[in-house]
Amino acid sequence: MKNKLWVGLVISIAVALIGVTYQKFLKSPHCAFDGSAVPPIYEVDIVLKDHSVKRFCSIYCAVQWFKKNNQRIDHVLVTDEIRGTKLDSYIAYFVESELITNETNKNRIHVFQQRQDALTHAEKFRGEITDDPFTLDD
Amino acid sequence: MIINIYTLIMLFVAFLSLVLGGFLFYAVIRMLLGFKPTIPLETKSTYEQKGYLVFLTACVILSVRMLAWPWFYFMLQSFVPEVPGAMCMFGVTQILPFTVTFLQIIKPISFFIMGGWLLCYYVDKAVPTSPLLRRNLYFLLVACAILLIDSITDISYVLRMKPLMSVSCCATFFDVPLRPSAMIPLAIFGKHFQEILFVLYYLINIFLIVLLFVILSRKWLFFTAFTRKIILSGLTVAGVFNVPLVIYAFIENIVPRLMQLPYHHCIYCFMGKGVVPDAPIILGLFVIGTFAIGWAGILRMLCIQAETQSITEHLIKKINGLSIFCLLASLVMVTIHLLFT
Repeated sequence: MKNKLWVGLVISIAVALIGVTYQKFLKSPHCAFDGSAVPPIYEVDIVLKDHSVKRFCSIYCAVQWFKKNNQRIDHVLVTDEIRGTKLDSYIAYFVESELITNETNKNRIHVFQQRQDALTHAEKFRGEITDDPFTLDD
Repeated sequence: MIINIYTLIMLFVAFLSLVLGGFLFYAVIRMLLGFKPTIPLETKSTYEQKGYLVFLTACVILSVRMLAWPWFYFMLQSFVPEVPGAMCMFGVTQILPFTVTFLQIIKPISFFIMGGWLLCYYVDKAVPTSPLLRRNLYFLLVACAILLIDSITDISYVLRMKPLMSVSCCATFFDVPLRPSAMIPLAIFGKHFQEILFVLYYLINIFLIVLLFVILSRKWLFFTAFTRKIILSGLTVAGVFNVPLVIYAFIENIVPRLMQLPYHHCIYCFMGKGVVPDAPIILGLFVIGTFAIGWAGILRMLCIQAETQSITEHLIKKINGLSIFCLLASLVMVTIHLLFT
């Protein structure tokens, strides 16, 4: 019985490690700006005019890339921090607060689908609602 | 009705269980009414054949019916794209909510009862004189009644399911500050309930595993009857207490961490969206580990007699081993995810 238990445990550890690997390296792509893993909750997708997609780990990285490539961009999809759903940046609420999403680039801009969530976050982390950083200046 | 492969299989299994379950219920009542402790030699063969048919049907239909529980969640997941506004299984549960809630309660109960009956039947079958026949027939009657209710509700749900209304997102239920999964632990444990739930999750699961190891160890034979009773009662109480505790710990702590969505507490997203690919295995191992404690209890209550004692004790050992493995594997898998995600 002991042998079976150990074999079973080794199999479950392997399954869990495969699950983690899938989540970390296969499912989450790498940031097109700084190459770091993209956490699903902060993912930003920039859809180009040729329908290809560039993925970013934070608003900061996406904005940096956006500024240099705005001629090629069709639209930007951001992720609601509460539900993890993707939405067009035009309809999202952006909050700049004291809470940092990415230690590497100190990104402080957060995305919400609903205004109430944005206000709650702003109140909790001393922030304020800001403009969509992905708008093109005419 | 939504027609896809999941609903068709669900309907087929439900109709089959309804027909065979109805036959089984009738046959068991007839067997119980005509039950005699001693049977004349000339009718023994007919009686054995009838009994064999009834029990074979019961084994097949109960085993198939047990699989209907995970299948039910596959079916709910398949409805997600069909229901306007649904982002996960939670949205689907908003249509015919009472029926879905009832099914979500009765399915684990039927899984537990049917599993318990199959084990009792295994013990009875292993002894040539079938000393547990009458008890098993009464137990089968209960299992059949639950099987019939479960099948009828399945058919009613699948046939009445129409995605005609728009439903709300799971965040409106699971992520609001006044969600039940937060309010109940908050009332019991206070402000730091999330940390307390997390610590209790590990403590109680480790406690259960240690108790099961003690029961399996050689020292168990040297314990007095009173000490054994205390340990078994402790195991049962901890096992029962562990169910709500794990549900709350998962919703409040583990699910958001494992999904890498720290504000999202939806257990349906965890189960069905594939964000954590091994989530169904983690949950399945926990369910079987916990149910195995109950199944061992059923065997101790119903199957320990002079003739069946050695077989029952051997089976209980195997079930306890299964329980240890399932609980430990589930705990280890959660820990690995928490450490590396």
